[in-house]
Amino acid sequence: MLTKKEVEKIAELARLGLKEEEKEKFAEDLSSVIGYVQKLSEVNIEKVEPMTGGTNLESVTRKDDETKNIADLKMREEILTATPDRQDDYFKVPSILE
Amino acid sequence: MNLDKLTIKKAHELLKSKEITSAELTEAFLKNIKEKDGDIHAFLSLTEEQALEQAKKVDERIAKGEPIEVLAGISAAIKDNILIRGAKATAASKILENYIAPYDATVIKKLKEEEAVFIGKTNLDEFAMGSSTENSGFGPTKNPVDLERVPGGSSGGSAAAVKAGFCVYALGSDTGGSIRQPAGFCGVVGFKPTYGAVSRHGLIAMASSLDQIGPIARNVDDAAAVFEIIRGVDELDSTSVDMKWQDYWDRPVDIEEIKIGVPREYFTHGLDPEIEKNIKSIVEKLEKEGAQIKEISLPYSDFALAVYYIIMPAEVSANLARFDGIKYGLSKSLPKLLDVYLKTRGEGFGAEARRRIMLGTYILSAGYYDAYYTRAQKVRRLIKKDFDFAFKDVDVILTPTSPTTAFKFGDKTADPLSMYLSDIYTVPANLAGIPAISLPSGEIDGLPVGLQLIGNSFDDIKLLRIAKTIETIIK
Repeated sequence: MLTKKEVEKIAELARLGLKEEEKEKFAEDLSSVIGYVQKLSEVNIEKVEPMTGGTNLESVTRKDDETKNIADLKMREEILTATPDRQDDYFKVPSILE
Repeated sequence: MNLDKLTIKKAHELLKSKEITSAELTEAFLKNIKEKDGDIHAFLSLTEEQALEQAKKVDERIAKGEPIEVLAGISAAIKDNILIRGAKATAASKILENYIAPYDATVIKKLKEEEAVFIGKTNLDEFAMGSSTENSGFGPTKNPVDLERVPGGSSGGSAAAVKAGFCVYALGSDTGGSIRQPAGFCGVVGFKPTYGAVSRHGLIAMASSLDQIGPIARNVDDAAAVFEIIRGVDELDSTSVDMKWQDYWDRPVDIEEIKIGVPREYFTHGLDPEIEKNIKSIVEKLEKEGAQIKEISLPYSDFALAVYYIIMPAEVSANLARFDGIKYGLSKSLPKLLDVYLKTRGEGFGAEARRRIMLGTYILSAGYYDAYYTRAQKVRRLIKKDFDFAFKDVDVILTPTSPTTAFKFGDKTADPLSMYLSDIYTVPANLAGIPAISLPSGEIDGLPVGLQLIGNSFDDIKLLRIAKTIETIIK
């Protein structure tokens, strides 16, 4: 159902590098799952509201409070230390411009 | 001391009466792990130093004659997708191989306040995606009951650790059955609370509208004891719910008070006939003891797995976008940012994670969104309504936990869909957000069978009490 070309397109959208030899198998696997979920087309969903989450809670927000900080200084440093590439207190990324 | 039989209640008594110290208990578990975990591989890492330090603190308090909390000084194993500050948290993925958690998950914070002892981090399918631990980036866990068979998944390491006597209880996470199915396969108790009962803050997210943390333990009392500590509203999880909970220990439930629904859709094709026999014999036994049994129908059950394989990968593809080689974890250094993404994610994620990310990306892409995602959300509503309707008449729904007992390694790895079918009876509770528990209900050819009880939303305590009554009768 899904072609190798489509798999390449999806992988690019998802930012996943695939090896050439994996593509056929992924096309096969994805097709089989997509084939399986087609069975939902048998269900009459007229006038049914979508269930959009796990609870009935709606838009839980809190007041913005800049004095409230869940990260202490040590935690802040640990978070920054976990980054693969860092300069001072910044996350460093390669250039996105050609 | 029988480490593989030790319950929270018993361990608490031993500590209080000074028959054993927490340090001795912790060391006994560590010794057992070092002797046997080479074969089982329940753990990805041990937190030995932290554990012994915590144990000694508890011992000092006991020596001073201070009262201790129920979980104090008692060893717990934690699934490796739950963050303990200062300890590795890999989610069994190469992309997080060397990641050290900079903060505690809320459940860990709560357990620390109880002075629980964390003995180590347990194996899982990568990012909790799987039903056997065969998708772990660091090798599978073996079922302590039969080393040639899988322990179930994704919380296979936690279930195996409890079964093997590596800890008294463990935490797992359950998105489509990941606590209950491995508990069933290993012959222990696994409880998935109502969505929103337990904070997900500090749980590495897989599918956010389905994920829930819960205990794996040796009996219902222990599962309840852990649940009573970890539950509660949390400002760091906006889907956690503020509830006034009943006290589990208040009063037991009499079997004659219980109305049990048995859904006919859960006893159709695909169910191992021996499991059907086992579950039906228990239903008969419960009826004889005075329970009211009612055959019920959950007509949309047949569509649950299809709904799950749309909603879940859609959420996975969004949640796993954060692993980009920039903020943490594996990073392939290349001059162009796009190549950093492609190579880091291509090499860091295993096959199942990539399959689900691609599936989610496809489903959410323009032109397919309504046909798949919106449709699935609507059918999800119908599945929820099935349960709402059923719970007007019954207190609890009784089903098998899984269609088979523990299968052999490699049996289902070639065909992802056959693996997905292992979760056919557990997925509906996640879609509906309702609580469910798996209890050991006997053995077939030496392999444990799991019985699932499903409760109504936020009836967690009622469900646990009923489970306790049923557990007593089964034993």
